[in-house]
Amino acid sequence: MIKFYQSIRCCLIVIMAAASFSAFAQRINVTGRVTSSDDGSALPGVNILEKGTNNGTITNANGDYSISVAENATLVVSFVGYATQEIAVGAQSVINISLNADITALEEVVVIGYGSQERKEINSAVASVSAKDFNRGNVTSPTQLLTGKVAGLSVSRAGGDPNQAQTLRLRGITTFGANSEPLIVIDGIVGASLDNVDPNDIASIDVLKDGSAAAIYGTRGSSGVIMITTKSGKAGRGNYTNVEYNGFVSVDNVANKITVLGPSEFVARGGQDFGSQTNWFNELTQTGYSYTNNLTVSGGTNAGTTYSASVNYRNNDGIVKGVNFQRWNTRLALGQEAMNGKLRFNFAVAYNDRKQESINMAAFRYAVIYNPTAPIFDDDETDVDGGYFQRDLFDFFNPIALSRQQQFVGERKNALLNYSAEYDIIQDLTAKINFAQTRETGLDGAFWSIYDKAEGAGTHGSARRSTYDNTNDLLEFTLKYNHKFGTDLNSEFLLGTASQKRTFEGYAVRVKQFLYDYTSFYNLSFASNREGVNTEASGYRSEDVLLSTFGRANFNYKNTYFFSATVRAESFSGFGKNEKTGIFPAASAGVQLSELFDLGPVSNLKFRLSYGVTGALPPFSDLALPVLVPGGTVDFDGDPSTDDDQFVIANQARDPNPTLKWEEKTEINVGLDFGFFGNRLTGAIEYYTRNIDDLLFSVSIPTGAPNPFDPSQPANVAGNAWANIGQIKSAGFEFTASYNDIPIGPIKWTPSLNFTIYDKPVIESFSVGDLGFGEIRLATPGSPGQNNNEIIRNIAGRPLGDMYGPIFRGIDENGNYVLSTTDPDEFVVVGNGLPDGEFGFTNTFTYKNWDLNFLLRGVFGHDLYNSYRGFYENRDAASNTWNSVVTDKTPFVTQSPTFSSLFVEDATYLRLDNATIGYNLSAKNPVFSRARVYFSGQNLFTITKYTGIDPEVRYFDTENGNTFTTNLAPGLERRNTYFTTRTFTFGVTLTLK
Amino acid sequence: MNSRLIKILTTAIVLVVLGACEAPDQELFSVIPKEIQDNTTDPTALKAIAQSAYVPLIGTWGGHNSLWSMHEVSSDEMVIAQKGADWEDGGQWIRMHRHEFNPSEQSIGNGWNYCYSAIGQLNNLLKTYGTNPLLRSELECVRALVYLWLIDAYGNVPIVTETSTDPTPPTNTRQEVFNFIESSILSNLDNLRQEKTYASMNYYVAQTILAKLYLNAQVYTGTAKFTEAAAAANEVINSGLYSLEANYFDNFKTNNSGSNENIFVINYDENNGGGFNLAQMTGHYLTQQTFNLQQQPWNGYATLEDFYNSYAVNDSRRGSFLVGPQFSSTGVRLKDLSAEPGDPDGQDLTFTPEINELAPNSFRQAGARVGKWEFRLGAGPNLSNDFPIFRYSDVLLMRAEALWRLNPSSTEALNLVNQVRSRAGINPLGALTADDLLAERGREMFAEGYRRSDLIRFGKFNDAWWEKPVSAAFRNLFPIPQGQLLVNPDLVQNPGY
Repeated sequence: MIKFYQSIRCCLIVIMAAASFSAFAQRINVTGRVTSSDDGSALPGVNILEKGTNNGTITNANGDYSISVAENATLVVSFVGYATQEIAVGAQSVINISLNADITALEEVVVIGYGSQERKEINSAVASVSAKDFNRGNVTSPTQLLTGKVAGLSVSRAGGDPNQAQTLRLRGITTFGANSEPLIVIDGIVGASLDNVDPNDIASIDVLKDGSAAAIYGTRGSSGVIMITTKSGKAGRGNYTNVEYNGFVSVDNVANKITVLGPSEFVARGGQDFGSQTNWFNELTQTGYSYTNNLTVSGGTNAGTTYSASVNYRNNDGIVKGVNFQRWNTRLALGQEAMNGKLRFNFAVAYNDRKQESINMAAFRYAVIYNPTAPIFDDDETDVDGGYFQRDLFDFFNPIALSRQQQFVGERKNALLNYSAEYDIIQDLTAKINFAQTRETGLDGAFWSIYDKAEGAGTHGSARRSTYDNTNDLLEFTLKYNHKFGTDLNSEFLLGTASQKRTFEGYAVRVKQFLYDYTSFYNLSFASNREGVNTEASGYRSEDVLLSTFGRANFNYKNTYFFSATVRAESFSGFGKNEKTGIFPAASAGVQLSELFDLGPVSNLKFRLSYGVTGALPPFSDLALPVLVPGGTVDFDGDPSTDDDQFVIANQARDPNPTLKWEEKTEINVGLDFGFFGNRLTGAIEYYTRNIDDLLFSVSIPTGAPNPFDPSQPANVAGNAWANIGQIKSAGFEFTASYNDIPIGPIKWTPSLNFTIYDKPVIESFSVGDLGFGEIRLATPGSPGQNNNEIIRNIAGRPLGDMYGPIFRGIDENGNYVLSTTDPDEFVVVGNGLPDGEFGFTNTFTYKNWDLNFLLRGVFGHDLYNSYRGFYENRDAASNTWNSVVTDKTPFVTQSPTFSSLFVEDATYLRLDNATIGYNLSAKNPVFSRARVYFSGQNLFTITKYTGIDPEVRYFDTENGNTFTTNLAPGLERRNTYFTTRTFTFGVTLTLK
Repeated sequence: MNSRLIKILTTAIVLVVLGACEAPDQELFSVIPKEIQDNTTDPTALKAIAQSAYVPLIGTWGGHNSLWSMHEVSSDEMVIAQKGADWEDGGQWIRMHRHEFNPSEQSIGNGWNYCYSAIGQLNNLLKTYGTNPLLRSELECVRALVYLWLIDAYGNVPIVTETSTDPTPPTNTRQEVFNFIESSILSNLDNLRQEKTYASMNYYVAQTILAKLYLNAQVYTGTAKFTEAAAAANEVINSGLYSLEANYFDNFKTNNSGSNENIFVINYDENNGGGFNLAQMTGHYLTQQTFNLQQQPWNGYATLEDFYNSYAVNDSRRGSFLVGPQFSSTGVRLKDLSAEPGDPDGQDLTFTPEINELAPNSFRQAGARVGKWEFRLGAGPNLSNDFPIFRYSDVLLMRAEALWRLNPSSTEALNLVNQVRSRAGINPLGALTADDLLAERGREMFAEGYRRSDLIRFGKFNDAWWEKPVSAAFRNLFPIPQGQLLVNPDLVQNPGY
């Protein structure tokens, strides 16, 4: 803590030092006219900027401009749709400029860590997606904007639960014990949350894919980095105001159901007949209606002010009654220049409030297997089940009752504050200080009714209340310096320091035994019993500090040869005492072949090579230390009826490991950017190999044995400790290409394709020295009857996540399985849940004011364990209680189910993810400068042989194991998966004049 | 240009110096740094720390998939039949019943972890508090008790003490483990309290450990020590501190802490010492209504028909089972709507001693259930009944057996057995045979985790019984768990596996 504030003080000293610098130069006046090189017409509204400053102007209606600049200044002339030009003023006082239409993407500005670069200067793998290419429809999370848009970035959400976040994997799995989601950076705030920003407020997203691009983020870069840039007012455009409204309404319906027997089929098959007819799917689900409103006001003034303010409100109903969320997002960003543009301030505040409701997801499973002859309600006079039909059968709960008698409510409040000041100490030397805080607080409530047969009734009701508060404080100081060596070598240097402090705290209380349901979780004092099963009183707080120094040098020789090097050194309070600082270097180089040779129709060809080391932090900050957690209770007299002599003891949770450090990923990326036909056709090819070493993992060690890291430390009690063990390797190939405006008669077509081929990750080892193990088994199908047979084995030298089981060979005359073996030692690989590849194919057609856009997306080569089939398709004894799942793969088996290759299905799929048709109203409207209406469909159809709920990749297991082994168990579709949904959206976008 | 360069460099140097700060030491808020505990002088905390030696014993013993499960299901007194889709669980319990278990069985790994986790905790306490001689003796004897479980189940296991430094401790022979347990007890006996204690170590608990160790010495080491076993048991009997409860079932009540018969128990408590889940493990789904249980039971553990029938009709210990027609707590006959069409009892829930088959389609209501421990009306999944590890009647039967083995016509042996029979309300025996002794131990100690050792000592463990063929002699030891072999290359697998 002390050092954290010390570093703040250090920064202040630097700023004061910087403020004392100043620079003087003589000024001259330049005038001229800007025209289009196509037809010589004057271009109004063109930005003219004195390079390296914020001194700028725009051309008037005749294309004329006038600007006062320093001697030897360079003018940067930019205009949407035209290539930016830089012109040295020299001794000229009149400069007429002819702009070339920009059909290249080369001048696109790419956001990288602590700055931006032009696309042509980038040597590493960075993908950029701007607002015009975002997915449309009922998009509720920023990551949904990117689904299918970036090669190597997998955005998945199995099922259609609006309250469930998307799973992100960049270039596959990079870790199993540390954080496997990419680092999120919002407007420079490292480690922000996606919940800090509404999709409507995002201007562009850049994805740092390879190690050299991410190395500037050191120990948090291994899983890749997603840089989000929000919309803001534009400087240098003079006085202007932009008012934009977005609104849409959506309708959600169930897209895919599990087929089961109808009532009469069920009874004919031997099922119990309760005399009624209920379609449990239809009873559980509904049509969900959602709407979203967004208003953004942005603009700038001649006094150097820019601003952007927005407000969003969303209300989303799920396809199940009781699933809903409402969210408010508000955001204000303000920029102000001072000292003739040499001092620049930026302030941003954002506040989000999300309220959500959900149900016990087991209701989906019971909607599948519950007896179709059972009624929803019962005339039972005793009413112990709140009027619902319930029977005392094993694992048999009325899904409607379950969805209504258990209540789960949560509220999240996210705040983001960002203050920065930037000062040009001398020309080409800019210092910046930045302080940011993101904060999330949550308040959750859960209630199990006194009538809830599944859980609440046993304890006569139960209520839980919990809250948490997470903060992330960030203070950064950077110094940037541009320098031109001679006439041809441009360079840029960056040096920076950062200190970051994160705090996590919260507590939870659960109590039981209520007389009335009415107060739900709002008044826990109505609970009569606060001890034992279904009760809880717990709390936590942890804090960690990360200090960093980083630097970068970029060189550009004649726009032909490019070189870049970065390094970041980081010290984390949670590292072991022997391993306090990690160093993460990277270097990349590129050569623009099209500058060197005339390649005919090849208008752009750049070869790139990069190397980078990144890291991952331990998941908790106290893993290196000998710490004690609440253990069992001692009772001095052994008499439980006297409780003033009972004490909770402090118990060792794991072996302390003083050598614990970061995970290290080394990545080599080879890339080729290409452009043909004047860059109408552009694209890139990437190939990467990754080697991840010192993997953080909770490793089994001989239980009870002396501490393997340091025998003087306490012995191991838990049988595991966190250690840097093991190694995984992976590789991949990515291809992206886009062809602009192919004319088909009056229609223009822009196809854009990206695909990725993964070389599945291989576990090179699970050990280091004497520590570790050769194999880890996990993921059992579950109850009933499949509790002890793990179906996934991770074996050193083998691909991660292979499923093992017997091969299904057929069915004998008695309706029993014929399996290759029943001996677990003879099981063979029957599948793997990780994909071989995936692709996204976006197509945009424009015709006059109409546009049509659709995204076809596919993932191939992954398997899924279909657990609905794995438990419920057999005609065994249990099927007189439970309804049976019927698919085209269902065999006639009377034996009870057991895991085999029969239930592992190829889940390759092709999906029409999104299709949108839009109409842009004529711009001659007196009120609106732009008006657009659109109609959009999401998840329109899926082609797959998979017979479960959703063929989407499952990167981790939602049921078995702890949080840190779930990444080792991909490919399991669990029975509680929320049904998939199909969404239709109608929306308007209006921009005021 | 020079001054410009200096400015740039100065600023850069300040930055680098600033960033070179090392991150501060990790602050802790909601966990306790170990040195806080190690340095405490608070008398209540010290007392609690001393007693924390017994907390790991609560562990997984009384739950499913535990050391207890291994002992019970591999013996002839307990079975988990596969009921269609339920309880197949990868075949583990069928293999356990048929003595086809392998080193990867989860229960076998859990049993090992249960024991060694306790040993690790005891060694940590010994490291910090070993200078207190009385506490040291107590802790070493508790550790000996854990090694008694290990020598019985796994045989050849590593001996790890507070002074060990090898993070991959090598296997010791069963003889070495035997010697270690024996010397741990003998060298500490003088420091132990010679008074009744509850759920903690005393002189008589230590003598009972010795009696168990010596009674099984022939199995463990090849050298019989029946004289020593009889003598150790006698120390307990002669103390006069323990006696048979008039009502056998008082030892297994929800609040059984008053029992004069229980010498050492695992102190379970539904709120503060959870883990004894017997009602869940043995009850039928509808048993929830018999005892108003908070959660639906799992319909797992039952006894074998032959074992049930080994009780005379008038043996009061026959009450150890839930058998016959089942009723709700308000006396309503329970109906299992899911009863299999072939089940002769139909939907009226009836626990029959007969089990139609082990797998795959045992009837859901087949098998007499474990009803020896009281299930409190309204109990949650964790029971408050303390689990007796050592009971006075066990000591009587151990002494009887030791004397009988030394002299098959020992009248004292006969009298001791008859003492136990008389409490059960059955006729005294006129003479003792091996079968009499084994059967009496079986009836008396049902479900207390000793049947497997008894069968091995009497040479019956490898015999065939219901749905179980003759098994090989190497099955008398469980395998060293696969998970431990993987992490500790210095372990040696038991022969035959």
